Amino acid sequence: MAGFLQQVVEGLGAGAIYASMALALVLIYQFTGIVNFAQGELAMFSTYIAWQCVAAGLPFWAALALTLVVSFAGGMLVERLIIRPVEGAPELTIVIVTVGLFIFVNAAAGWIWTFLIKDFPNPFPQGALQLGGISVGFSTVGVLGVVALVMVLLYLLFQHTRIGLGMRAVATNPSSARLVGIRVGWTLALGWGLAATVGAVSGVLIAPLLFLEPNMMGGVLIYAFAAATLGGFDSPAGAVVGGVIVGVAETLAGAYVGFIGSDLKIGVPLMIILGVLLLRPQGLFGRAVVERA
Amino acid sequence: MSALIVENLVAGYGDARVLHGVDLNVGQGEICAILGPNGAGKTTLLRALSGMVKARGTVRLGGTSLAGRSPDAVARLGVAHVPEGRGTFMPLTVEENLRLGAFVRRGKKDVDADLARIHTYFPVLKTRLKQAAGSLSGGEQQMLAIGRALMSRPRVLLLDEPSLGLAPLVTRELFRIVQAVNEEERTTVVVVEQNAHLALGIAQQAHVLETGRIVLSGTAAQIRADEQVAQSYLGYRV
Repeated sequence: MAGFLQQVVEGLGAGAIYASMALALVLIYQFTGIVNFAQGELAMFSTYIAWQCVAAGLPFWAALALTLVVSFAGGMLVERLIIRPVEGAPELTIVIVTVGLFIFVNAAAGWIWTFLIKDFPNPFPQGALQLGGISVGFSTVGVLGVVALVMVLLYLLFQHTRIGLGMRAVATNPSSARLVGIRVGWTLALGWGLAATVGAVSGVLIAPLLFLEPNMMGGVLIYAFAAATLGGFDSPAGAVVGGVIVGVAETLAGAYVGFIGSDLKIGVPLMIILGVLLLRPQGLFGRAVVERA
Repeated sequence: MSALIVENLVAGYGDARVLHGVDLNVGQGEICAILGPNGAGKTTLLRALSGMVKARGTVRLGGTSLAGRSPDAVARLGVAHVPEGRGTFMPLTVEENLRLGAFVRRGKKDVDADLARIHTYFPVLKTRLKQAAGSLSGGEQQMLAIGRALMSRPRVLLLDEPSLGLAPLVTRELFRIVQAVNEEERTTVVVVEQNAHLALGIAQQAHVLETGRIVLSGTAAQIRADEQVAQSYLGYRV
């Protein structure tokens, strides 16, 4: 039993990171209907910025703060310069643009920082809490805490601020949002900035667990896609729940299903995506709102 | 004094021109009815005024030119457009919908006071504040749309077919409220309507639009008295 719970705890730590990455995907999808395939690469680039700041001698948390600000501005810039010109274009066009962005950002990071792996500092102390036979690493506690904080801040932003209300209005009815005086273009850019910031947090959290290299987010993005699909692409709360479920399912499958082990773990999110699309395409919390005409 | 002056307004979608030079002069505090058959360009006229479709010509709100401005800029200048289909933010609550109407305004106290004022016009909304707006009936959503528009304290209110899809009793109630708002707040109203009888009942001036041109203008009483209009556009004999 303790062994099982131990696996669940490990899964929660991984799941929290998938959740934050899925949240970044869902944020953009909600505002623009775009699935941003480059989200992981933007997060990777942000992580390199954090690494560069630390390498330049900044304390970790100052480096993080600076990274978040730069990521926010970068996300807005990407929307204004790259996405805006194809706004309203067919979905396939936009998918190709985000895939192009994926390749560009990946190559740019490799060009600037090379493809050699780098060690990323872990902001949390070594060691673990002992809770009745289960050991919970400080790093897991830290990851869960940071992701929970991000969720709470986003919730407060969306539910209790004027800007958040405007963002939700744009997400549900852009033309009507325009008619009440909201600058829709800037609100979309704000959404991209926000998503890039949340993505940067997940990149910085995952980098100490993996190694920092330009391809580090490739796998994470697949888990995030599974999480967003499972939770429902239009539901931020769903992304979080989906992320946690995917993390736990992946860890448990790796530990208890013999033929999966650690080699076939990446198959778990793919199976989840397939299963959700077959059985409940809108996801667990996806909107199937009943509206009266 | 004129609240809204429109001169030689030309608008359309792509190559298809819908309005071929429309002139309007709406006095401050007046209700102006735009009548006409389907496809005459009534909705396009309102969209051109609020910047939703590109238009050429003059549109002046008081001393300010609205021509070429984006819909959000026009809204910030004081034109509230209740669009065809009501523009409800379906998953948001009724209260959030109303507060969005006041998005461009500062001052929480004033906004709260206006919310209370809207409740006196539309008591039914008060009982539904925390409900998703998408769950309201058609009539309630139309009331919500007008309430949302009023929350911006508009100088000019543009109403696109408020009666569309509503039961006659609900429609009559709605027009009664629009008239009350107009009298109490001195809000200038431009209402596009197929139900000419109702619109003429509350309007001071009226225009009949046909294939993108105004073919007849006058006071509401004159238009109502014109037998030819009654037959061709309003669908009844006087």
